[in-house]
Amino acid sequence: MGWLDGRTARLVGHCPAIATALTAQGATLVADGDCDVLIHVAPPPPVQLAHEQSHAEWRATLDAGLDQRFLLAKDFAAARRAAGKGGTVVFVGAPEQALGADQAAAGGALGNLTKTLGVEWARDGIRVNTVQTEADDATLGNLVAYLASDYAAYVTGAVMGVGLDD
Amino acid sequence: MPVPSHHIVPLPPPFGAPPYPADIFAGQTVLVTGGGTGMGLAMAMAFAQGGANVAVIGRSIDKAEAGAARIAALGVRTHAISCDVRWPDQVAAAFDEAERALGPVSLLANNAGANFPVLAEDISVNAWNAVTRIAIDGTFLCSTEFARRRIARGQGGAIINNSAQYIWTGFPGDAHSAAAKTAQATMTKKLARDWAAFGIRVNAIAAGFFPHETSTAGRREGGTEVLQNMIPAGRTGSIHEFGWLSAMTCTPLLAGLTGQVIVQDGGESLRRSLMMPDYVPPRERAEGPWGWR
Repeated sequence: MGWLDGRTARLVGHCPAIATALTAQGATLVADGDCDVLIHVAPPPPVQLAHEQSHAEWRATLDAGLDQRFLLAKDFAAARRAAGKGGTVVFVGAPEQALGADQAAAGGALGNLTKTLGVEWARDGIRVNTVQTEADDATLGNLVAYLASDYAAYVTGAVMGVGLDD
Repeated sequence: MPVPSHHIVPLPPPFGAPPYPADIFAGQTVLVTGGGTGMGLAMAMAFAQGGANVAVIGRSIDKAEAGAARIAALGVRTHAISCDVRWPDQVAAAFDEAERALGPVSLLANNAGANFPVLAEDISVNAWNAVTRIAIDGTFLCSTEFARRRIARGQGGAIINNSAQYIWTGFPGDAHSAAAKTAQATMTKKLARDWAAFGIRVNAIAAGFFPHETSTAGRREGGTEVLQNMIPAGRTGSIHEFGWLSAMTCTPLLAGLTGQVIVQDGGESLRRSLMMPDYVPPRERAEGPWGWR
């Protein structure tokens, strides 16, 4: 029996470890449309000193690490509400302080956005959690799959890492 | 107020469907402090569902034995030990006894704690010492005893600490526990770093409201039914889902997880409005410092 048997999951972004864990736990991956689980993986931006970073580079990190995530989650939640069903969102990305100032801003904002949406949508049965890590392995995949499942039904608004430096 | 019927309340799978195979801890022994009742018993049951043998330690041997009997019903070996985790000689003796009875302890759940609502000015020295030292010194003493034994054997292990959701905000009306539970979480991160090279992982659950027969909430007149609507998730926690997450962190499924404090509180600690009910200091609350209505 898998943690996500009978559930559909949309994985946005590239992370084979998460895809493997989701399917191993019984989820059916879908490319778009309504689904039970939304996982959004943002790639880590390059490390740059803040004063050497252009505004365009800055904005690209904030767009991928924050803006696009919020807009996608907002659409997901609207679809779940319209369907009268709950759902789960898991954001995955780099640790807040491990890279540049752009990631510090995007990661910090994402953390508090997670806490906010987790409560704002709680009575819609929609849980929102975030994993900020440099890990890209089976532990990350299993952790994300667990958070996406009913086994984490009492976990929402949680921001966590995987390893020591997360 | 009951939870409105149009709200959706996510529920965990039933106790009989744990998230890991029945042999995931086979051949291992877990030592659970305060494992005879409440949240410690839930942790112990969860480890037993994964096949671990369980050493239950507690100040009351009667409670430890009663808990051990319930755990043994799941088909694992158990052993109950009387121990006050505030004293290093008692902790060492408890590990000795556990290992004689069940074999090397490779998993540790630091759960022992005391907690009760009280105004800060009414906390006696004895009460302060009891609450803070059981959690802070007890976690330190049990963890270091565990680590020394694992390091001596050249083998890794995993520790899970039972912390609380109020460690980031404080808890007016519960100063001793606010301090104690935060120490458990902050030491989790440092112990994980100290012992990473030895393959010993350390994590914590910042637990929310999981009523049980020995909790203050569980003894509340009228039960806990009327408290469900105060949690964003629409319910208080089920004790077995706390046990499962605790044990999950120690499985090979999360082999890379260490130094993490995972909040499991149904969003309780995140409740916030720009406009909130008038602030009432704990000493002026009609129903005591925790102010449950």
